[in-house]
Amino acid sequence: MSRTLEEVQATIQIAKLKENDLHNTSHCLTFGESVSSGDYCLMELDDTLCKHIEAGKSLVIRGDQDERAVLCSEDKTYDLKIADTSNLLLLVPGCLTPDQLTTDNQASSQLVHAQIWGFSNSYWELRKRHPKLKKLKRLLMENPYEGPGISGQEDVTEGKYTMGDLLERIQASEEELEAQLQTIHACDVNGYWRLLDFDYEMKLLGHITQLVDSESWSFSKVPLRVSLEELGRLEPQEMIEHSFNCYGRRYTDNDEVFFALNEDKVCRATAQMLLQNAAKFNLAEFQEVWQQSVPDGMGTRLDQLKVRMGSDWQLRGMGTRLDQLKVRMGSDWQLRGMGTRLDQLKVRMGSDWQLRGMGTRLDQLKSLALVDRSSKPETISLLRVEDLPEDTLERFTHLFTMRQKWTEEDITPYIQDLCGEKQTTGALLTKYARLSTQNGMKVFNSRRLVAT
Amino acid sequence: MVQIVKTSSVNGPGPTEWLLVELQGEMMSRQNSGLAGNLMGYLLYTRDQIKSNFICHIHMGVPVLIVGHHILYGKVVKLEKPFAVLMKHSGLPQGEKVPMEINQQNPTTYSISPLIKKKLIFNTRPKPIITNVPKKL
Repeated sequence: MSRTLEEVQATIQIAKLKENDLHNTSHCLTFGESVSSGDYCLMELDDTLCKHIEAGKSLVIRGDQDERAVLCSEDKTYDLKIADTSNLLLLVPGCLTPDQLTTDNQASSQLVHAQIWGFSNSYWELRKRHPKLKKLKRLLMENPYEGPGISGQEDVTEGKYTMGDLLERIQASEEELEAQLQTIHACDVNGYWRLLDFDYEMKLLGHITQLVDSESWSFSKVPLRVSLEELGRLEPQEMIEHSFNCYGRRYTDNDEVFFALNEDKVCRATAQMLLQNAAKFNLAEFQEVWQQSVPDGMGTRLDQLKVRMGSDWQLRGMGTRLDQLKVRMGSDWQLRGMGTRLDQLKVRMGSDWQLRGMGTRLDQLKSLALVDRSSKPETISLLRVEDLPEDTLERFTHLFTMRQKWTEEDITPYIQDLCGEKQTTGALLTKYARLSTQNGMKVFNSRRLVAT
Repeated sequence: MVQIVKTSSVNGPGPTEWLLVELQGEMMSRQNSGLAGNLMGYLLYTRDQIKSNFICHIHMGVPVLIVGHHILYGKVVKLEKPFAVLMKHSGLPQGEKVPMEINQQNPTTYSISPLIKKKLIFNTRPKPIITNVPKKL
């Protein structure tokens, strides 16, 4: 049923349009044969996705029957939301817009036949979101790795997941998944991604810190090769190296590989080890035990530092500031700036130069433990953000059920991960909590009724 | 459960860009015979008029749609967020038997149309075409 140019021109005349006013190219729009059948949908894209698609890269839709589907590129995750419109959207391949029409030539009129391939009343909106990663830990906890010695474990594939298995089940992009595997200290053991049993993880770390202690190495310069040689007798070398990667930063110096142990990570892990066996800990007692448990051996405390102030030696008192410290870096005296790390300090203890050991600080435990300063005596207990609900509303309800009033300082570490792009914890608190003042201090409580 | 969306290569056959035409209301075929294969109408564009300075600029390249006995004027809009069409393809070809693992189903794939970056939107009231004298075609 295709029309001819004459028919079109006749219609134009009937419609009282002047041919002179019109471009000489007309389109004849016909519905395609399969316009009402066919399984398709319209999807709205942002700039990043457009570039991604134009580069020929593919996307993946992930989700089980009971989950809300997400769309993943190689490094981002998007929610899919249906948007309805009261208008009719026709899809027309091969239809031209004025800027695409060939230059007007009054002499030759043209008729372009374009088929309407399909139509829709709705489309999918894509909204970037955090990857849904809580399931990852749950899956990997089915069969944590306790070390090679455990007999009969090797052949069991139950509760073991390869990267492919994980990509099938976790609603996240591949890059986000890989980043999370690193964050939770997962390890590839014989092709399966395994979460380490916490005790085993601490055992590995303990081997390293004890070796560092006995060899009197600096925590910032732990030689890999020697460590693997010494500790390879106790545990597989890959596991020792894995522990290094989790708790330190790798670097090369004169062709030799060293690791700089991360003070915060080691102190946090030690704190978790202490806290997970007790519901609550007396805060003062905890701080003492914690410092002692942290690989140290020096009993160093910042106030013991004799610091070089100008040319004098003075005991660092309350008034001295760390940025005033002139510290001995190698053989030079340099003013301690932003980049220098406390564990690099060679401090003058008495008349000796000793490397400052690791110092525990309560602020290292953000999102890991919660201090209760209202109880007598003050206590501390384990509270890990990764154990809390993933959904924002559920998270806030849970937190307010635990504790009726929160200071901003206390609650922030437990809501930080809920923030979307360009969203602040302040914005979340404004939306989900109510601000009030108690004893001159700003506190937040729930907007809704929760049973405490 | 995973569904792969394959992006077609840029050099594949077919047009490199699709157009979206947005209309208010519903499309119905005259005798309720369904839309497939039927003519929808004609799409015309007004010519760029360079005659006089200001007024004609507004009327450059205006899309005009003649559908049935209606005439509609619209405009060309560049989409802030382009669209794409996802076309579903069911899994394995028929007749193939593959041992199924638990949780594994026929893989579903989609292909993506070329991007839709512009639309023609017709949201002004259609004007009826009055035919005084029926013209023989």
